[in-house]
Amino acid sequence: MIPFPVLSVITWAPFVGAVLIMFLARHSPLAVRLIALLTTSISTVLSVFIFVVYDREAAGFQFYEKLPLVPPLGISYEVAVDGMSLLMVLLTSVIIFAGVFASWTVKSRSQEFYALLLALVTGVYGVFVSLDLFVFFLFYELAVLPMYLLIGIWGSSGEVRPRGIFGWAFRETGVGTKEYAAMKLTLYLLFGSAFILVGIFALYVTAGTGSFSFLELEATTFDPRVQFWVFLAFYVGFGILAGIWPLHTWSPDGHASAPTAVSMLHAGVLMKLGAYGVVRLGMGLLPDAAVELAWLVGGIACINVVYGALSAMAQTDLKYVIAYSSVSHMGLVMLGAATLTEAGLNGSVFQMFAHGVMTGLFFALVGLVYEKAHSRAIFTMGGFGRAMPGIATAFTVGGLSSLGLPATSGFVAEILTFMGAWRSAHPWWLVPAVAGTFLTAVYVLRVTKQIFWGPPSPHFDHLEDARGPEWLALVLLTGVIVVFGLVPALAIGPVDTATVPILTRMVKP
Amino acid sequence: MSGLAPFALEAGIGVVLLLVFGAGLLARGEDRRFVAWLATTGVLAVGVLAMLARPAGPALGGMFVQDGLAIFAKRLFLAATFIGLLAGLSLTDRVFVRRAGEYHLLILTSLLGMMVLASARDLILLFLAFELMSIPLYVLAGFLKRDAAAVEASLKFFLVGSVSSAVMAYGLSFVYGATRTTDLARIAAVATAGDPLLTLGLVATLVGFAFKIAAFPFHMWVPDTYEAASTPFVAWLSVAPKAAGFVALFRVYFEGAGDRAATWVPVAAFLATVTMLAGNLMALPQQNTKRLLAYSGIAQIGYMLVGVAAASASGTAMVLFYLVAYVFGNMGAFLVVEALARSEGSEATTAFRGLAQRSPLLALAMLLFLLSLGGIPFVAGFWAKLYVFWAATERGLYWLVLLGALLTVVALFYYLLVAKRMYIEPPDRPTRVPVAPTLALSVALCVLGVVILGLYPKAVVMAAMRVASPLF
Repeated sequence: MIPFPVLSVITWAPFVGAVLIMFLARHSPLAVRLIALLTTSISTVLSVFIFVVYDREAAGFQFYEKLPLVPPLGISYEVAVDGMSLLMVLLTSVIIFAGVFASWTVKSRSQEFYALLLALVTGVYGVFVSLDLFVFFLFYELAVLPMYLLIGIWGSSGEVRPRGIFGWAFRETGVGTKEYAAMKLTLYLLFGSAFILVGIFALYVTAGTGSFSFLELEATTFDPRVQFWVFLAFYVGFGILAGIWPLHTWSPDGHASAPTAVSMLHAGVLMKLGAYGVVRLGMGLLPDAAVELAWLVGGIACINVVYGALSAMAQTDLKYVIAYSSVSHMGLVMLGAATLTEAGLNGSVFQMFAHGVMTGLFFALVGLVYEKAHSRAIFTMGGFGRAMPGIATAFTVGGLSSLGLPATSGFVAEILTFMGAWRSAHPWWLVPAVAGTFLTAVYVLRVTKQIFWGPPSPHFDHLEDARGPEWLALVLLTGVIVVFGLVPALAIGPVDTATVPILTRMVKP
Repeated sequence: MSGLAPFALEAGIGVVLLLVFGAGLLARGEDRRFVAWLATTGVLAVGVLAMLARPAGPALGGMFVQDGLAIFAKRLFLAATFIGLLAGLSLTDRVFVRRAGEYHLLILTSLLGMMVLASARDLILLFLAFELMSIPLYVLAGFLKRDAAAVEASLKFFLVGSVSSAVMAYGLSFVYGATRTTDLARIAAVATAGDPLLTLGLVATLVGFAFKIAAFPFHMWVPDTYEAASTPFVAWLSVAPKAAGFVALFRVYFEGAGDRAATWVPVAAFLATVTMLAGNLMALPQQNTKRLLAYSGIAQIGYMLVGVAAASASGTAMVLFYLVAYVFGNMGAFLVVEALARSEGSEATTAFRGLAQRSPLLALAMLLFLLSLGGIPFVAGFWAKLYVFWAATERGLYWLVLLGALLTVVALFYYLLVAKRMYIEPPDRPTRVPVAPTLALSVALCVLGVVILGLYPKAVVMAAMRVASPLF
């Protein structure tokens, strides 16, 4: 008997949903939403299922499926999950499930919106579960491309007009508009994918095994020179998606302009996809180069942490604050990975998850606030806590997780990363990392106080709290933050089984 | 009869030519479009014949071969011509209605030249076929003879073309001088790598090819000609003669050359670099869609030259595959421009505003063509780019592959600008864009080609590999 192809179902269910939406739900917005909800529910339930039944003792890649596609070239559809991708699949499910609710109110052209969103989600799942590098790349492109239309059509342009001595140049190029953001994001990410493609080819050709399979390439030891250049290619390619400084500038523009569900998915999951690529392909396949270049990855990550936090402090547009905080937190993810210690790498993967959920929550909340108050300008808002206590509470929980308060998942991630940094070859990394956390506290508390807990602003009245399906999204995301903060072992257990083999390969026997 | 077997396709085109010529003589009245239908059906019939064609031995004492490569190329020419003629059927300008006979006679003559070129294994036949292909094109470019721009474009095309033909003939004379034979097979046998006279000859010959395929310094005729000439013709002009040029290039430089083919790696890599750079960068500021596609087409030629630079059997095969993908993607894009130009009266990119809301299917077709030209997965162009990069990687040209891959990002910028107009900007008016049935059919054929090759490239790749490997 053929075992139930659970990973394929998780991956392709949203895509089937997209096709159904395009063909069946032409004039019925409700049917569109129900199909989207149904197919993402299938994926979500199954990813919780595999998260529960994944055999933590046996570890390694499980739920393996393989189907040869182009045998002469060694391309096959090969999927499996280990502890790390397991957690990422769960993250994707949580975010998209919440995202379907968060975009319930999309009005114009909702059929195309959901179809593109679901196709994108298939791409994201596919990247996390693929073991074949070529198929991995195809899924990666599928995850990037619909973004152009999603942001370009349903996005929103920034309210804060560019000022300062370069203001004219910004106005000239349309900085802050959704068209600009969509184009910038797409071109940056495709620029990155060019490096990734060349890197994958170089590995394929030099390995000489005639296979794109991760498992076979993992067994190959590459020449140090090849490792060095390919690692750099992967680092730049995936790093762009992970928002590494100075190639991060697409991310604030893109996330600020994107519609709610797309921001959630992009900041919550797609940026993690970049970090995942660096850890999985960069460190997993090229251990020697990872050790050799750890100083670069970690050093740039330190800049990310501090630079992202400082930039977030300077913003007056709420969505940009959240977007820059992602840049800062992705710095922590990369820093944890660069420590090359067990604690650091676990912290890094855990941070991907924690930050994904947290930033997903933030973008959902910003979307709700904007929908009710029609404003993103921080300093015109105030005292919303009275009118929308539910949103205010969720925002505060997210903020506390962001600055690393104990009992939230953000704390676990940060403390592990700090421990890793302390034990690494570069203990001084701890200084910018901790400074970044401090700055995070400054901007998060400032924003929270201003918008929700300060004196009521005279500009707004008749504000409402979250309603119906929106509650579901908020409760789900807040709940995940608290649960994984209280019981981190839920995630650390499987993650540890995946990170230790990567680190063992780095130690020369 | 067996003696004629290798010439079956050329004979077929010859019969169609005669029929069109006769019909053109007999036709009376203003509306002579039946000649166009005759020519289109004739090309379709020869196309079906080409699907059945099998390789045959050399004929005319080795001057003419009907090998796998020739048949592959001829099928491609016929497919492109059929799509181009089909799209042209719905042209209603007086000049096309009244002078359908001349128009199709010229196209068929040029097609005959291409087909002979694909089979030519002798320098003299090669040059003759080249001119037979090119001269009708000069006339066709100026077919709208009352339009000053068309006449200018035609003249420019003619002048540049005849100069490059002259340089090519000059080069071929050196090749003959160095090897004392016009037979390509014997040239390959007696040639030695270091012979300066031969090298000089081949480099001069390359100028002729570079002009025909519109590689960088010889590309100047392209944008003006494309802009001024009628779009269905341009769609065909932008693919078929270029495919013919590449096939002849393989015959002269690679066939039988063996390891000596590698001497052309630096030259081809250089041409590929400058052509990709120039095409992509000059496409950026274009506001006219036809000019945009003209420059993007130059960039596409640059990518094909990356495959040529691999100078290997797989490189050659991948260029052939690229040509197939390019035929569908590029012709399709031009034909959508034609459909839009007829209803909006404008070829500017602004004509595409809000097309997704006016005619969703037409917009989707254009998006597929653009994505294919841009090299995005799941449509034909992705595999085409991937495969030529692959071939170049095998040759160790990592820098060229990286440059090509990065320039695809530049290309996507201008392709996405058109996509933005279609999908993001609001329409100027809400009406559907009317598309003539034959034009719609030809666009649909291109969509089919792009999608099928994108989902299942294997059959064509394998066929290209089979016909390319005997060359080395």
